[in-house]
Amino acid sequence: MPGLSGRVVGQHWYTPYLFMLPGLLMYAAMFAWPAVIAIQLAFSDYDIVSPVRWTGLDNFATLAHDPRFFLALRNSLLFLVMFLPLTVVAPLFLAMLVNVKLRGIQAFRMLYYLPVITSMVAVAVAWRYVFDREGVVNWLLGLAGLGPIDFLLDRAWALPTVVLLEGWKNMGLFMMIYLAGLQAVPTDQVEAARIDGANARQRLRHVIVPALLPTFAVTLILSMLEAMKAFESVYVLTRGGPLDSTLTLGYYIWSKAFQDYDMGYASAVGLVLWAIMIVIAAANLVVTRRRDR
Amino acid sequence: MATRRTVRRIGLYVLLFAVAALFVGPFLILLSSATKSAAQDVFGFPPDLIPRPPVLDWFKEAWTTVPFARFLVNSLIYVGVTVPIYLIVSALTAYPLARIAFRGRSLFFMLFLSIMFLPGELMLIPRFLVMGQLGLTDTFASVILPAILSSLGIFLLRQAFAQIPDEVVEAARVDGANEFAIFWRIAVPIVAPTLAVLAILGFVSVWNSFIWPMITLTSQSKFPVALGIAYLTGVSGTDVRGLAAGTVISLLPIVVIFLLLQKRILNSMGGAVKG
Repeated sequence: MPGLSGRVVGQHWYTPYLFMLPGLLMYAAMFAWPAVIAIQLAFSDYDIVSPVRWTGLDNFATLAHDPRFFLALRNSLLFLVMFLPLTVVAPLFLAMLVNVKLRGIQAFRMLYYLPVITSMVAVAVAWRYVFDREGVVNWLLGLAGLGPIDFLLDRAWALPTVVLLEGWKNMGLFMMIYLAGLQAVPTDQVEAARIDGANARQRLRHVIVPALLPTFAVTLILSMLEAMKAFESVYVLTRGGPLDSTLTLGYYIWSKAFQDYDMGYASAVGLVLWAIMIVIAAANLVVTRRRDR
Repeated sequence: MATRRTVRRIGLYVLLFAVAALFVGPFLILLSSATKSAAQDVFGFPPDLIPRPPVLDWFKEAWTTVPFARFLVNSLIYVGVTVPIYLIVSALTAYPLARIAFRGRSLFFMLFLSIMFLPGELMLIPRFLVMGQLGLTDTFASVILPAILSSLGIFLLRQAFAQIPDEVVEAARVDGANEFAIFWRIAVPIVAPTLAVLAILGFVSVWNSFIWPMITLTSQSKFPVALGIAYLTGVSGTDVRGLAAGTVISLLPIVVIFLLLQKRILNSMGGAVKG
């Protein structure tokens, strides 16, 4: 890489900016400018019809006493707690399962990955048939003497069901991330542990998991950001219902903005979500740095 | 010894198939529902999943209930316009971040990475207003513009450009090629595999996106296929079999692409995200 002092032939001071110009324009128009508007709206009252009215911290004062906001926050955190095992733990075992040399193993990886590339709308429709009151799952429950359960209409079951679907849809992606990590684990280390008499559980705990720490850092932050942002699945499956039992922060923002046209308040909630995501990212960075040292 | 290995292998296959059933099962049930005749129950205990005989009427029904052909064409337009622009803008942006020394380079990189930490739901609101200000509400452009920049694209391409050996570039520089010529004739062909991965990821994400199109589009004639499915679920009196058939139609193109390119997708995916 050429140093800063000596100008490379064919390069001018403006060359890098010329290259980045389209990207910077898109960044300004689709991210920076909207972000500025969002911040401005969070301190304003705006219903699309009448002009924007500056209201200072009013939105945040309302927010501090809004039980639905706290319910949404609680549901988002619950979502996160249930989502982590599905995306950070289970896919590791899936990756170990498909990390073998076996005829046709690539086909299995492909099948496990299928839900990742399909749209949430299609996934939601497909699962309607599975989770119906007279669907396959309830039939199996019936055989065990349980149910039937109206998964998406029952206040206790709706949120876990949405999380399960969102987790199911994302598992293949996380599996592939772990698979890449596993394939970087030196096989001789695993072999040496086996020869030393370590059983499968000990090998997992003392050889594989330590080697995968950097991968865990990636899956953990991806999973947390994904859970906090969860919105599309809620929208297509339950619309936040029944009785707000699946009301997440993402859904609350959308419904405040595009159902109640309370754009200012919705932006204030959005700012809180943004702050949470930045804290998650920063915490992840700090933890990763400390470990690397 | 050999028999023990065989038993182990059979057990592994049983497990692999059982897990596969969990991931593919819902899609198969969808397909079965879409091909059942009106006389056969979609639901009920015990489940009756084999269509006897399979019929294709519901595909015809879904096709005519909503303008499916229009939706599919729209989605192809969205993908066809967005993905090439996305690739070009990402490559142009990533190139200097990897190959040209300039002050504040890492700051610019962080700027583009910050996109990842912007909540999409928060962005829906101001973007909706920005599109209004630009007079683009309910246009194809309003669907395309927000999809042109992604932090993943810039991140992966920067990595790919950085891995090009200096000697390759120096040779061209000595021959008097300017930076853009080096970028276009030498660097871009070398990172073609990364561009291919991004093209596939871009295809999938544009094809499946539906929340933003739902907010910015009001004319049904501009709906992408994912929004069309959401619309079909709202049409009263849609038969459950018709809905299933419509959903299968929306899935077909993406599944076919996936099957054709699966090797490339799978091999790159884990490594790509891992970085």
